[in-house]
Amino acid sequence: MQVVLLAIVTFIFAIDQFSLTEILYRPIIACPIIGLILGSPETGLVVGGTYELMMVGNMPVGGAQPPNAVLGGVVGVVLAVTANLPTEQALGAAIVFALFGQYAVTLTFTVMSGLMAKADKAAEEANPAGITQVNLISMCILGALFAVMAVLAYTGGQAMGETLQEFSAKFSWLMGGLGAAGGMMRNVGFAILLKIMLSNDLWGIYLAGFAAAAVLGNIPATAGACLILVAFIGVAIAINDFTLNLKIKENAGNGGVSDGI
Amino acid sequence: MASNATAYKDLTPAAPLDKKTLNRMVWRSCQLQASFNYERMQAAGWLWGILPGLQKIHTNKEDLSLSMEHNLEFFNTHPFLVTFVMGIVLSLEQQKADINTIRSVRVAAMGPLGGIGDALFWFALVPITAGITCNMAIDGSIVGPILYFVICFGVEMALRYFLMHWSYNLGTSAIGALTKNAKEFTRAASMLGVFVVGALTCNYGAISLGMMIPNGQALNDAGELVDNFINVQGLLDGVLPAALSLAVTMLCYWLIKKKNWSATKCIFLLLVIGVVGCAFGIWAGDYTSLVSVPWHK
Repeated sequence: MQVVLLAIVTFIFAIDQFSLTEILYRPIIACPIIGLILGSPETGLVVGGTYELMMVGNMPVGGAQPPNAVLGGVVGVVLAVTANLPTEQALGAAIVFALFGQYAVTLTFTVMSGLMAKADKAAEEANPAGITQVNLISMCILGALFAVMAVLAYTGGQAMGETLQEFSAKFSWLMGGLGAAGGMMRNVGFAILLKIMLSNDLWGIYLAGFAAAAVLGNIPATAGACLILVAFIGVAIAINDFTLNLKIKENAGNGGVSDGI
Repeated sequence: MASNATAYKDLTPAAPLDKKTLNRMVWRSCQLQASFNYERMQAAGWLWGILPGLQKIHTNKEDLSLSMEHNLEFFNTHPFLVTFVMGIVLSLEQQKADINTIRSVRVAAMGPLGGIGDALFWFALVPITAGITCNMAIDGSIVGPILYFVICFGVEMALRYFLMHWSYNLGTSAIGALTKNAKEFTRAASMLGVFVVGALTCNYGAISLGMMIPNGQALNDAGELVDNFINVQGLLDGVLPAALSLAVTMLCYWLIKKKNWSATKCIFLLLVIGVVGCAFGIWAGDYTSLVSVPWHK
């Protein structure tokens, strides 16, 4: 019974880290709930509060993936309750599971890149249900992978952590490769946008945008606001072009009449 | 694949969206990242979020399909601020603006929001709330987590709700002036869009080489003899920062535009490049290469 509840709740937290409320998965909330399931809400509160403070310096910022918060917290509580480990030690032992949580995220994001073709097909057929399906599939994959990890931690305990550690060392090149490929895939997204937006006379504008971001993004004082500042420059260029073309249009209209002065 | 049509068939502006539909999309916006992926990031979640509106606006199937296709392109913004982009895009869709204009406005609006959202939420609200509530939790009080949820979720939903209605009205009121000079506006919007995609290519670039080529020994600041390495990525950054991101984008652009490759085919190619590269320790990252090579420890 405990295992089933643990799996279901972890399934939900896994989805929540990217969708739903995006708040429930935080250790300070997730850990007490796991604690409650395992019959020791106090342990959950302590582990959750501690892990949340550790996480505050570790936000999902700018698309980068931190060591996974969900599995770190969930497994931390599981080990603290079932193996009676002190908080710090339980969280330490949970790190390897958190790493696998991150692997699960990488794997899902890679698989879903392939499934975008299914979404394209649904769009072509003007079929909203198809889009719903793609989103559901993605959430189920992520949730299931996380639930399995949580159950492994519950049944295998620390010994499972060691097994995973060995496995991870052996195949780290494969996960590293998926991560590296993941970093490149967004460029496919850019290429698709450019395929339609980039007319021949806009190549300079594209490179100018690249240059603006390269400069602003590498100065510590402006790096955080890089894209806002880039948008300011872009807006200036666009408004200038708009007013200029408007004037040309107006003058062309008058030009025909007043020709021959 | 996105078709190349640039205008909707039915160009009569649709009836304005009612409050109920807008609110429904506020709730749907929570699922923005449901199918987050490396290629198009939040695209399918974005489309799912605005679908109720699109279905009301585009009553014929061809236009709905066109709209769904272009709204499935690369999308990434801050999840809590996404309704701002939704409102603007929906007001443009409702007026049946040129598809290139909608695309450009969408791209131009999504980029800057990411930075604003991170600063507001992850660097300000969450750390402050955590500071207050974590110690309550560690002391064994259940009020800690409850307070944390109420504050963070409350602010999040209030933002989503406010931004949706505000930006939809903003878009609707601004649009009349622009449709008079639609051709010029589309061109200007495309320029802004392309400029921002250029910036994203650099700013979102996430490819780097991890090769450190051993190059004898040298004295460090303390006067000790240590191993010296040539950092290949460092050399490349000296030539052009984010050069690899630009190169891969251009490669994919060429494959898709000139060689008629599908996006899926490109992704498969990149998967092979990524995994084979890590087997030989070429890409940066914390891993052990399959083949032991001198440039990767």
